[in-house]
Amino acid sequence: MGGGFRVLHLVRPFLSFLPEVQSADRKIPFREKVIYTVIALFIFLVCSQLPLYGIHSTTGADPFYWMRVILASNRGTVMELGITPIVTSGLVMQLLAGSKIIEVDNNVREDRALLNGAQKLLGILIAVGEAVAYVLSGMYGSVGQLGVGNAILIIIQLCFAGIIVICLDELLQKGYGLGSGISLFIATNICENIIWKAFSPTTINSGRGAEFEGAVIALFHLLITRTDKVRALREAFYRQNLPNVTNLLATVLIFLIVIYFQGFRVVLPVRSKNARGQQGSYPIKLFYTSNMPIILQSALVSNLYFISQLLYRKYSGNFLVNLLGKWKESEYSGGQFVPVGGLAYYITAPSSLADMAANPFHALFYLVFMLSACALFSKTWIEVSGSSAKDVAKQLKEQQMVMPGHRESNLQKELNRYIPTAAAFGGICIGALTVLADFMGAIGSGTGILLAVTIIYQYFETFEKEKASELGFFGF
Amino acid sequence: MAVGGTAPPRGSAAAAASMRRRRTTSGGASGGAAGTMLQFYTDDAPGLKISPNVVLVMSIGFIAFVAILHVVGKLYLVRREA
Repeated sequence: MGGGFRVLHLVRPFLSFLPEVQSADRKIPFREKVIYTVIALFIFLVCSQLPLYGIHSTTGADPFYWMRVILASNRGTVMELGITPIVTSGLVMQLLAGSKIIEVDNNVREDRALLNGAQKLLGILIAVGEAVAYVLSGMYGSVGQLGVGNAILIIIQLCFAGIIVICLDELLQKGYGLGSGISLFIATNICENIIWKAFSPTTINSGRGAEFEGAVIALFHLLITRTDKVRALREAFYRQNLPNVTNLLATVLIFLIVIYFQGFRVVLPVRSKNARGQQGSYPIKLFYTSNMPIILQSALVSNLYFISQLLYRKYSGNFLVNLLGKWKESEYSGGQFVPVGGLAYYITAPSSLADMAANPFHALFYLVFMLSACALFSKTWIEVSGSSAKDVAKQLKEQQMVMPGHRESNLQKELNRYIPTAAAFGGICIGALTVLADFMGAIGSGTGILLAVTIIYQYFETFEKEKASELGFFGF
Repeated sequence: MAVGGTAPPRGSAAAAASMRRRRTTSGGASGGAAGTMLQFYTDDAPGLKISPNVVLVMSIGFIAFVAILHVVGKLYLVRREA
């Protein structure tokens, strides 16, 4: 396949224009890494509060409502696009490369550089495309209302924000910071959401006098102001339209369960061939693919929602369109469309236990869909991302590691006993936890909280590793 | 070690050596899919090289630019209406 035309080479002329953060030429001390990470986070947080200049209104239905939580975006702010461009381009490129649609030889330096360049270029193009689409579709008011100058200004702001997110992510990954920018931003966004829902001091008047939005604050407020303390407690625990204490407790419970499960792993002993006495271990975690299955699953679902909503608004009478999904405006979160029928309804989590009892088929379908989708995506992901048994065996061989008691050719077979099982079963577990979180009404949706916990756990591991190597260098 | 703590003194060579060995042994073991998750730009590629500080300054500059736009927009609009 060597000499012919390759899609990847189309990127080459653009390569010299793409911003590229220098690799660290020295070892960055742990403290400096923390500082870089904190500054990047600070920039992200400011950007997700800073309103866009020139927008007219952000009212009306928000078709991307479902994606916001995993894409770290905030409506009407500079971070409107969040990490959408970078994640989309990354997933697209990895899927293209993994399914061999574009040929990439990972051993060739130039190929890797071209792939990176292509990813970044695609990311910037997606940012530009989305910005233009947002403005033209009238999400901030029609172009006539905005004026051409403002419309262009908005597009420029959104594009530049996209480029900044790409640069920040690269900065953190190139060894100046901890972890990856994407996961940092997702986790921050979700945590912010949870904290806000728990302690928000805004009051909302829903017919029974002013109520606080934050669950904890509402609990105390109700306990103090109401004369009937038992009823006040019940109200704080079970109120329907606003975050209640049960939701908060469910969130904490899910958090603990996920952390407990993170420790489950099969440890395979490995031994170095060259240096005698060097023992190591290769742990295969239960959550082998970590949070990838839910990222992929929610990307799928949100795209389906988007298409279904778009179709429903245009051709709501069509039988096929109705089969895909029927939508209705929600009473609580103003202007949000919620699915009430069709496929879209059945792959949405039931909103409460009562809802579940009323529609057991819906709950069952949702459960089956989540579990099978997560298992399937998990199994696909190990092939795509290069962490299947074959790839791991190759990696270990390159590092001259063997498993004691097994021949070298047996390594792959031995790994094959564990890795696909771990991936599929781990995927199912992740799916089950997401469903559990949704059923219990955990704050920030099951997907969101699962993402947040797994990311925080990864960060925790990175922290430990960094600290260990730091201490080692200074001889503790 | 606390994040803000001072750097401890350099240790003996033996400690460093043992550490190095431990690190190499665990090096192969740190794998798993989680390590590679969502890590896209790990390699060096030719391109417009910028240093990390430039990225930070650029971002802060952008934030300042949008903030100034807001301020100027407010002033300009108010004056026009008056």
